[in-house]
Formats: sequence, C-alpha cells, structure tokens
Amino acid sequence: MQTKEITFKHVGQGIPRRDGDEKVRGLARYVDDLNIPDCWYGVAVRSPVAHGRLKTLRYDPAFDFDQVCVVTPEDIPGKNIVDMMGQDMPFLAHDLIRYRGEPLALVAAPTRQLAEQAAAHIQPDIDPLEPLYTLEEVIALHKTDRSKLDELSAQTIIKGSVDEGLAAADKVIEGEYWAGHQEQLYIEPQGMVAIPEKDGGVFLQGSLQCPYYIAPELIVTLGLPLEKIRVKQAAVGGAFGGKEEFPTLVAGYCALLAMKSGKPVKMVYDRCQDIRYSTKRHPAWMKYRVGLKNDGTITAIHVDFVLDGGAYTTLSPVVLYRGILHTTLGYNCEHVFVDGRVYRTHTFPDGAFRGFGAPQAIWGLESHMQECADALGMDAEVFRLKNYLRAGDKTGTGQVISAEMDPPAVMLETLKRSDFVNRRTLNTYGVPRDGKFFGVGVAFFGHGSGFTGDGEMRLQSKAALDLDWLPNGKPGVNIRISSTEMGQGTLTIMPQIAADGLKIPMACVDCPLPDTKYVPDSGPTVASRTAMVVGSTVYGAAEKMKALLEQYASDAFFGGHPCHLEDGVLTCSAVSQSQTFEDVARRLLEEKGMQRVVHQFKLPDTVVWDQKTFKGDSYPSYSWSANIVEVEIDALTLEIKLKKATSVWDIGRLMNPVLAKGQIEGGLTQALGYALMEKMGIRDGLFDADRMQTYVVPTSLDTPEFDIHFMEYPYPHAAPGAKGVGEIPMDGLAPAIANAIKAATGIRMNRIPITPESLWEAMPSTRKEIAS
Amino acid sequence: MNPETERTWIINGEKMSVTFPPGRRLLDVLREDLKLTGTKEGCGEGECGACTVIVDGELIVSCLLAAGQVPDGAEIMTVEGLEKTEGGRLLQASYVEKGAAQCGFCIPGMIMSSYHLLSRGEPLSQPIIREAHAGNICRCTGYEKIMEAVSAAAEHWPKSEAKS
Repeated sequence: MQTKEITFKHVGQGIPRRDGDEKVRGLARYVDDLNIPDCWYGVAVRSPVAHGRLKTLRYDPAFDFDQVCVVTPEDIPGKNIVDMMGQDMPFLAHDLIRYRGEPLALVAAPTRQLAEQAAAHIQPDIDPLEPLYTLEEVIALHKTDRSKLDELSAQTIIKGSVDEGLAAADKVIEGEYWAGHQEQLYIEPQGMVAIPEKDGGVFLQGSLQCPYYIAPELIVTLGLPLEKIRVKQAAVGGAFGGKEEFPTLVAGYCALLAMKSGKPVKMVYDRCQDIRYSTKRHPAWMKYRVGLKNDGTITAIHVDFVLDGGAYTTLSPVVLYRGILHTTLGYNCEHVFVDGRVYRTHTFPDGAFRGFGAPQAIWGLESHMQECADALGMDAEVFRLKNYLRAGDKTGTGQVISAEMDPPAVMLETLKRSDFVNRRTLNTYGVPRDGKFFGVGVAFFGHGSGFTGDGEMRLQSKAALDLDWLPNGKPGVNIRISSTEMGQGTLTIMPQIAADGLKIPMACVDCPLPDTKYVPDSGPTVASRTAMVVGSTVYGAAEKMKALLEQYASDAFFGGHPCHLEDGVLTCSAVSQSQTFEDVARRLLEEKGMQRVVHQFKLPDTVVWDQKTFKGDSYPSYSWSANIVEVEIDALTLEIKLKKATSVWDIGRLMNPVLAKGQIEGGLTQALGYALMEKMGIRDGLFDADRMQTYVVPTSLDTPEFDIHFMEYPYPHAAPGAKGVGEIPMDGLAPAIANAIKAATGIRMNRIPITPESLWEAMPSTRKEIAS
Repeated sequence: MNPETERTWIINGEKMSVTFPPGRRLLDVLREDLKLTGTKEGCGEGECGACTVIVDGELIVSCLLAAGQVPDGAEIMTVEGLEKTEGGRLLQASYVEKGAAQCGFCIPGMIMSSYHLLSRGEPLSQPIIREAHAGNICRCTGYEKIMEAVSAAAEHWPKSEAKS
C-alpha cells in the first residue's frame, strides 16, 4: 500500500514532547547530574605543539603519581587506534603528533583538581615539524603544488561531458566560495562516565548520539568483545552532529582509565576544552564554472569542492560524499563534473555537524546560481524555475526524480508567501535609502534523506518492540531502538508511530533512552534518517506486534476465530465479542512472559547505487525547500540584520508539526549564525574563539520574523512516509542572505560568515564614501 | 587550610545550611554540595545563562557568584523551586505545551529568566520579552517557541505573584 493512502491517528498531531515535563522541572539527568559513588575524574595530557614527533614523556619526580592513575599507550589492552575510517588516528599519540592538544597520556584521580595537577607534572619532549593550519594555505597549494598536500579522500561525480557542455555555452560564469569552521555549541558540553563491570567489561553512560558507534569502535582499542561494552545514553543537552563520532574518543579515554584504575571515571569538558578539542564543521572552498545559454539553459556545471579535514580521516570521506552530491542538487544539467577532495591539516579533526557537507555545498551552489541569473539579466526565480529538476529528470548521479516529488512546488509557494516579486522592488543595489541598505534574496535546495548511497542497505537497521510491563505497572509496549533523543523529539514521535502501527493508545507505548543491553542496532541518530528510516522500521515492528496480539487473542479468547485490533480493542466479529488491549496483553504476559518482535528496514529493490562510479540512486529520497529572506544593513555601521525569513518545506509526511517547526526554527537560527556571526580562526594551532564570549551565536534578539510553511509529499515506500527534517534547515539560509546582501549593496560576498568588517573590506571606495 | 564558610539560606522555601571553602561558586554549592542538579553549567563565564537562579529577587548567573557573597538568610530560587509557585507551574506547563524545550539543557536557566520577568508584573511587549531572555543562549529552538510560551503564560499570570 502506498503510504499516502494510510490514515493516521497520532502521527501528524502536535503532541507535546514526552520528556518536556522532566526538562522544565530540572529533573532530566544529563551525564554530569548522575550520582556515581566513588567516581574518579579523568583528564588528558595534551600536546603543546600541532605537528611533531614525540620523543618522551617526563614525569616530575617531585609529584606523587601513586595517588593517581596514568594511562599511556603501553596500557592500552587492544590496539592504539581509533577504529574509524582510515584508522589513522591513535587513541594516544606515541610518535607522530598531528594537532595541538592531541592526547599523549590520560590521568584519573579522585578529584578533578588533583587529576589536572598530575597532568601538569607530565611534560612531553617533542621535535616540532612544520604545521599546515588553514584552508587558505591548502587552497594555495591545491592550485599550485598538490604534491605538498596530504589527501585524505577524493571522489568525483561525472555525468555526460563537461567539456562538451562548456563548449556549447554562450557564457561561462566562474566563482569561488569559502566557508569557515562552525562549532556545534550544544549547551551541554561533552561528557562521559565509564564504570568497570565485575565481568571485566565496561559500562559507559554519556552524552552521545550513536550508542552503536561507540561500542563496536571500542572493541579494537579495549580488546573486549562487543557484549562486554555496554553503552547507555544519558539525557543529551544538544548534539547537532557534535556527539556523533566524537564521543568515542571521550568514551575510550574514560574506559581506559576505568579499566586500569578499577574506579568509575568521568570526564566532562569545560567549554574552552570542548571548543578546542572537539569536532567542527569542515571549512570548505568551492570553485564553480557553469556554462549557460543566453535563454538561461544550464549546459554544464563544473565544481571543484575541497574540504579541510583537520588532522585525521574520521568521517571526512562521507562528509565529502554528501557535500559533492549536493553541489549540483536541484538543477537539471546534462554535463556535470564534480571533483571533491579532503586534505589533511594540523587542526582538530573536523567532523559531523547538522547537514554534513551539504550546507557548504549549497552555500556555493545557491550563491553561484544567483550569479548566473544576474549575469544573464534574468530574475532569480525565472532562472531557477527554468532549470529545476522535475519528476522524470535526472540528478548528477543519474537518479530519476520520482513522480511523488515536485521540487519546484516549494519554490512557487515561497515566492507567493514572501511576496518576493513586489518586495524586490525595494532592493537598494548599493544606494542606501534612509540610512539603510535593503535586499531580498532567495535560495532553493534539497537534502538527501538517510545515509548516502547504499548506506541504508548496509546498515540493515533494526527496531524491536517488547510487550512488557511498563513502569506504571500496566502492560504495554516498549520501543527498543538505538536512536537517541537529543532534543529533536525521538521519544515523542516513535510512540506516535508505534501507537498508529499497533492501533493502541499512545499511553500504552513507552520509549526508554537507548541502552545497548536492550536495544538492537537501529543505526546512528544522524543524516535526517530517524523519522524516515527508524520510524518506518518501528512502524513495521508495530504491525508485527499487532498481528501477534491478534493471533494470541484469537486463540485465547475467541475460540480460534480471527479478530481485529483497532483503537485499543480486539474485536472478533464471528463471536461478536471484544477484549481490551490491556486485558489481552496482561494475560499474554502472565502466560508467556515478555514478547519481542523485531523488524528490519529495507529499501525498495529498484534502488541501485554504484559506490565506485558514484552513479545511481544517491539517496532513498529528498526533502526540498526554498528560503526567501529580507536583509537590512545599516549604511553607517554595516550591521547586517536578517529581518524576515519565509520558508516552505517538503519533508514528507509530518510526524509532529510542533516538533518539526521547532527543528526548522532552530536550524534556521544555526544557519543564521553560520551566515553572519560564527567566526572561528586558528591561532597557534588552536581555535581562536574558544569561549562563549568570543564564539558568538544568535540570541533571542538576533532572530528574524519567521514564516514557516509545510507541503507534504510523503515518502512512498516506507510508512508513515517521513523524509527527514533534522538537517535541511541548515542548508539554504546562508546563500539566501548573501544573495539579499548583493541585492542590497551590489556586492557579492563569497565567504561566510559575512560580518560588517568583511562587508566593509569588500566595498569599493565609492560605496565606502556613500556609506560613511 | 582556609577556614570553611558557613551559610544558612532559604532555598526554594526550605531552610538549608551548608559549609564550603572560600571562593567556591554558588553553582558548585547548589549542584555538588546540595545536589540541586537542575541548574546547569554551560560555559562557566556568565555567557550562556544555563546556571541562572534568583537570589533575593535578583536574576544572577550562579557560575559567576562566589557562594560566600550570598549572605545568611538569603532566599534562593532554582528551577527545582518553580513548581512550588502557581506562576512557576503555569510557566512549566506553557513551556511543555508550546514545545519550548528541546534538548532542555538551557531551560533551567531560561525559565528562571521567564519567571523573573513575569513576576515583576510590568507591562510586556515582544521586545521586552526578547530582551529579558537575551542572556540565555538556546542552540535548539531559535527562541520562537520560548517566546510563545512566555507570552501565553503572561496572559494567565496569577496576580498574587506579580510584585514590583
């Protein structure tokens, strides 16, 4: 059955979040709130240089190291590697040091103060080597001498012949675009506690997105089998990708210290440590060359896409894949060539952050598409609507846009709601009016739902439902998934989905925080995949549980006649009798004990992907959006104010409109920071904005008037039909703002964040005179 | 060793005595010594506002205040004390209903700013509500639903808790 034909009772309702009450009462337990008796505190001894060779660690003989526990590479039971892509990162550097702050040893002590004192009495001797810090240095070498660069990953997308396409063009428009580091700045810093178990295993609790990243990744390092590494999520105070792969490091540090000391060991980073020594969004540079016919047809798109990966590979190849796949997404073009590369620098490894390469790509794409429209003298919307992908068209990898999607629909609706065509008559084009520049800008974009390429096929995500006694003493259903709640609403939408699959009241469904002791691997909580992939897996499990209950009730209550579960009641028409879900579940539990059903996610057989050639269906589906923004710039101070943001979103079927809107508002606010505020430089190998005082994010005074609207085109192949909302709000606001700034000032800003200072520097002297 | 400081405060309506070394932050005394872990530390330098509490009617960030500076007999209100007041319960319900909490980590401080604003009983406007929460950073919500929750609670605010 097509998902759009199913009717839902709970899905689609703005049900208040289930963890809301404990959060507004201060009762939610984040990792630093856990009361763990006799817990020691862990710290890292970190390298003071960014690039060099470690000769030795000197222990100050004046310090009594007997009162603390020290872990060096020799103490690691397994291999001294972090089991991520590339396997090039050691847990503790023992020879080559690749970033400033890289851990060389670990210390645990009964108090944080003592642990820090001990760490300060361990001094490394290092032979320094020449460091490479910034993307600017990387790009200079990328253009002149690539042999001097260390390439961590590379991938191309080839469609048609880009040379042929460029040769057929009336005009070729070129442009370069830059994006800086961005810090996730979840308000709860990184934290983990490791408790040694009696059987030699270790129990980890912490602030994390992906329990089944940590457990299997630590097998190699800890030398323990999977079943002896238990990972449980504590309440998570924001993550945004920053708690995707990174927590494996803190988990490993704590586990190594706990296994050696025999004590529970906790690490909670302070804000400065967190910003300095955790992942950021990859800085990116793009060069677009787009061939155009005078009528607006795009004949070729050539993109160079380069990411600064930081010191180690970690997730960079996958960030690169998502990045290059979004560099041309949304536009119909026969000839595409995308050359993607990630190079190593000597800064903290860059990693996952909401959007995962796509915000960088769409920053370049939608800035450049506006440049193309401007070069042709075409209106922004006319150029875009001429070239949009429509049902039946093919993306850069040859994926056919299916009939269930209508990408231009969101654009048409956004144009209407924002009154774009009239509002742009107020654009100031460099001549201020009443002391202000004013401009309206647009961006159109899509975002791939779920893992890239064949990722969802390889993951084989599972969800379990347990018919069991709930904490309230009544029979009910526990949802067992590894998807985490980090503010986005997993604990609320999953019971909505399960209740609809089972046809029982939501009160009979619980969704405890994941603990690998109880939950199967549903894959990581990333890639806008939870509602779509795990949600549909939960729905499938719920249908199985419903069948199990109907079979049991038929045998136990209705003399073998079939019955039907609806609205929490099992009714047998043959004998004209009915039983409540609660009564049937109670008898089943008393008779046979807990009942578990498991369901596994499956993509339709028609999905084809070739990872080698990067051809085929690069994502199971796509969400689509258009953002139209109004920007006002003070002509004297060049303060840039985002006044209004109108946006329309096709994220498939809405699971919960209140939560979905919260995702959009929050994501747009992070995107506003990315576009205009969040500036991170490198000083002596460290991030220079390493405090909240210096890394400035939007406050309640910075956000614009939001007009947010949804259009639902459900994913047809997996009920309930969500397509993903987590990342897409991060994607399009920066180019929309830059396009509005161009309409206001006449200046193309090609580097984010765009600050009053950078705008001043970009202004020609005549404009500076007008402005002053 | 420095002598310990001793204080007796009224915390969330209950008399509590505590001793601590000089210089210890009020935040640490609340979280670690008194186990009132509702109040959170997000930055340790007064920027994020997650540790906001009310001391003798003043909104303060408890990471920047030495506990010794809070005199004997002071009245301290933390997020745990909200539900003991009618206005606090109203605010909590409004936050939940409007979807104002996402990850929830900023909320114990944010909601104290809301309570402090509404209990002053002054005329409100959207700019005033926004200004009153500008010292609390939320990275999840974009502030919209928090503003909605505060506006909704203001409409039904109990008169007994409006004091100047």
